[in-house]
Amino acid sequence: MSYIVIEGLHKKYDQTTVLSNINMTIEKGQLITLLGPSGCGKSTILRIIAGLTNATAGEIQLEGQNMNGVQPKERQVGMVFQSYALFPNMTVKENIAFGLRMQKVNNTELEQRVQEMLHIVHLTEKANAYPKELSGGQQQRVALARALIVRPKVLLLDEPLSALDAQIRKKLQTDLRAIQRKLGMTMILVTHDQDEAMAVSDKIFVMSNGQIAQYGTPTEIYTNPQSEFIANFIGHYNVIPRQVLETMIGEKLPGDNNKFAIRPEALHLEMMEGDLCLRGVATQSLMSGNIIRTTLEGDCMFTMEQLHQRGHKLELGKNYNCYVAKEDVIALS
Amino acid sequence: MKKRSLANIIFLFLMLYLLLPIVATMLYAFSSKWHKSIFPEGLTFKWLATLFQDTAFMQAFGRSVLLAGGAVIIALIVIVPAIFVIVLYFPKYEKWIQVAVVMVYSFPGIILAVGLIRVYSTIGVPMILVVLGAYVIGILPYIYQGTRNSLRNVDARQLLDAAQLLGATKTQAFTKILLPTVYPGLFAGALLSFSVLFGEFVLINLVVGSRFETVQIYLMKKLSTSGHIASAVVFIYIVLMGLLTFAIAILTKRSKGATNL
Repeated sequence: MSYIVIEGLHKKYDQTTVLSNINMTIEKGQLITLLGPSGCGKSTILRIIAGLTNATAGEIQLEGQNMNGVQPKERQVGMVFQSYALFPNMTVKENIAFGLRMQKVNNTELEQRVQEMLHIVHLTEKANAYPKELSGGQQQRVALARALIVRPKVLLLDEPLSALDAQIRKKLQTDLRAIQRKLGMTMILVTHDQDEAMAVSDKIFVMSNGQIAQYGTPTEIYTNPQSEFIANFIGHYNVIPRQVLETMIGEKLPGDNNKFAIRPEALHLEMMEGDLCLRGVATQSLMSGNIIRTTLEGDCMFTMEQLHQRGHKLELGKNYNCYVAKEDVIALS
Repeated sequence: MKKRSLANIIFLFLMLYLLLPIVATMLYAFSSKWHKSIFPEGLTFKWLATLFQDTAFMQAFGRSVLLAGGAVIIALIVIVPAIFVIVLYFPKYEKWIQVAVVMVYSFPGIILAVGLIRVYSTIGVPMILVVLGAYVIGILPYIYQGTRNSLRNVDARQLLDAAQLLGATKTQAFTKILLPTVYPGLFAGALLSFSVLFGEFVLINLVVGSRFETVQIYLMKKLSTSGHIASAVVFIYIVLMGLLTFAIAILTKRSKGATNL
């Protein structure tokens, strides 16, 4: 049996349905991500798992134990909040030790575990600082340490990195994954950042309008989106209606799907055997670091991404033949 | 430059206008004689000493502290938890507290006094308890603002959630996390309420009068018998209010400092 099982979870606020028939299984030691736009219900799932919000219907099992009706403090679930929620009246050390004090752990063990945790999150020299004296990244590491020290069965992370700037966020993503692997901790991360989800997760659940739209490993989700929503949300996919695409490539496509998705980086200028050809005029070119993203206009508008290398820059106003392998044209349901 | 000088002159006159009566009253409390000269003819601690030897004054002072302090303590016990619960768990009802706050400001003391006498004087409730009750309601705006502003500076609900997930009970989360966090604002509100109630005269005079002589009623009596003693009472009152204001200023500053989270 899986470590965490969520079955038929529903949540309604008055007449508004926030979650509808959520089913998930999570294995021990996995880092899974709930990914979706704001308001899709992903944080509500975390709050229900933590016991901070009651589900309208459905069941959550943790290590085979039904969690319905169990108080938050009895669930052995840790949580890191977006706004850190550090206790402003306590120092870093006191914040981290709070959970152990509630468990009445003796002082010797408490001191040892706090020092160990301070070391893991690289905050030993900030032990006596107050939260307001720390940077956002440091505060988030304190929040992580405070949640980890009580050795929860599962750690819930509610957009923990979204308030941080890009560089610190990337560093903390790496740190988070390293700590999770080191401790073998089961974690559920909520984020609306697809790059973050791709970077840290074992498994991603993409959510839309209170439902799970698709789940799988990051590679499965990225290379095989099942709907237009996923294709648009997870990457910069070109979503093209069947009729338009068939006109562009000059041949019939198999199946009866109405739309197809093509990854922008799957398009290239060199023709290979069996490739399909999309023709268009380069109208716009955007450079984002190592990637050049060019917009082309033919029977429809599509984008192509190339590595930022010599000879890859397309001349604006000029016609180009862009090629794509047949297996990279994904039929959407 | 001219404009600035004019502003300085206006400011000076304004300060003189405001401070002169206070300085004169305080000097009068220490003057042995002050009849035919601009400044006191001699200084003495006699009036202050007389005042402190007067049992009636000490009792009046004690009654004022008891009444104002009692009302503040009751408000802290009854109103503060109610505000916490409403703000954290039933925010849609907060507008009703705001309506109550406005109503407190909009009722003149005389109307309130007449209303209280008409309703309660015939049903046997001791009128001093009626005044105490009115005081508890009367300081709602100060207590509410103090608590609300402190809660606004922190995400109180999330702090409670975090504490509970770490194994704290609701009571532990409230006493160990929330209360110390909002304490400066709450205490400033309590001190402000105390100073307002300590100086309250209209309600206590009209509803209870000399049956429960507070410092304000004692002062009014002394005005007709001894200007020096009355000035000494005012001096003590001003010193007390000055200390309370100083404490409030320090606490408010500390409370604002806690917002940089």
